Amino acid sequence: MNKEKDTRVTPSNAFREWALRTSNDTAWGERLARWMGKVPGELQLRWKVGTPTDIPWTLLKRPLAEATVALVTTGGVHCCSDKPFVLKSDASFRAIPRTATSAELCITHEHYDRRDAARDLNLVFPLQRLLELETEGIVGHVAETHYGFGFTDNPHELLLPGHKIGTVLAQAKIDLVLLVPA
Amino acid sequence: MGLLAREIEACGVTTVALALVRELAVAVKAPRMLFLHWPFGHALGEPGNRLQQRTILHDAFSMARAAPRPGLVIDLPYQWRRQHYAPIDDWTKESQAFAEALARAVQGED
Repeated sequence: MNKEKDTRVTPSNAFREWALRTSNDTAWGERLARWMGKVPGELQLRWKVGTPTDIPWTLLKRPLAEATVALVTTGGVHCCSDKPFVLKSDASFRAIPRTATSAELCITHEHYDRRDAARDLNLVFPLQRLLELETEGIVGHVAETHYGFGFTDNPHELLLPGHKIGTVLAQAKIDLVLLVPA
Repeated sequence: MGLLAREIEACGVTTVALALVRELAVAVKAPRMLFLHWPFGHALGEPGNRLQQRTILHDAFSMARAAPRPGLVIDLPYQWRRQHYAPIDDWTKESQAFAEALARAVQGED
C-alpha cells in the first residue's frame, strides 16, 4: 500500500498510543479493551439514556440496485480541512462528501488503535467499497454526503445530532444508512 | 452507534449498524444490528482484504432486506484472521452464513 495515501491520524499522547497498540496486538490487551468497552459503556447507556421500550422501524423502500446508500461512522473520520473532533469527548459530526479521498480524510479519535484504519480507511469508513459497488450496479447510488462522529463519553449527547442527520438524510431521500463503529 | 441508528430510523430511513461489543448492541435496542467478535477499529475486517469487506457489506444489505422485526442482533460467524472469504455471486440473495445466523437469532428470541 502506498504510504503517501495513508489517512492522517491526529496524534494522541505516548502512553495512550502504547495502550491502544497493546489492546490490538496482545490477547490480554484485547480482553481488557473489550471489558472497558462493555462495562462502562453499558452503564453509561443505562444511566444517561435509560432503557428504551420501543424500537423505530422503517422498511427498505426499494431494491438495493435502485437504492441510495449513505455511511455514518463513529471512527473519528473527518475531512482534514474540517475542524478536528475534541479527543476527550465530542458529540458533534462532520459531513464528508463522496468525492473525499483517503488522503483528504483524517482520523481524530483516541479510543482504538488507528494504525490499520489509517492504512485502509474502509475498515471504519467503507466509502471506496461502496463506490465500487455503485460502479458495478450492485448499489443504486452512493449518497453525495456521509457523516463522521468522534468519541463521545455521554451517549445522551448523541440523540440531538442523531436526529439532525436523520432529518437531513431523509430530506436527501436516502434509502439505507450503514453505521460503522470504531 | 446504535443510538444514532435509532434516531435516523425514526426519521424514516432504513438503518443497519455494525457492532463490536455484543452487550452494548443488545442494550441499545437499535432496529438492525450485526455483531462481529473482531478488534475495535476493524468492523469491516483486515486492511486490504477486499473480499472480507465486501462480505460484511453484503451481509449488511441482506440484513436491511431480510430482518423480520426490529431489535434483532445477528451474530456473524466469521472468525478473526481464520476465515476464507469467497467472491459474492449474487448480491440479491443472502449468503448461507448470514441466513443461518439470522435463523439462530430469530429462534433465540422465540
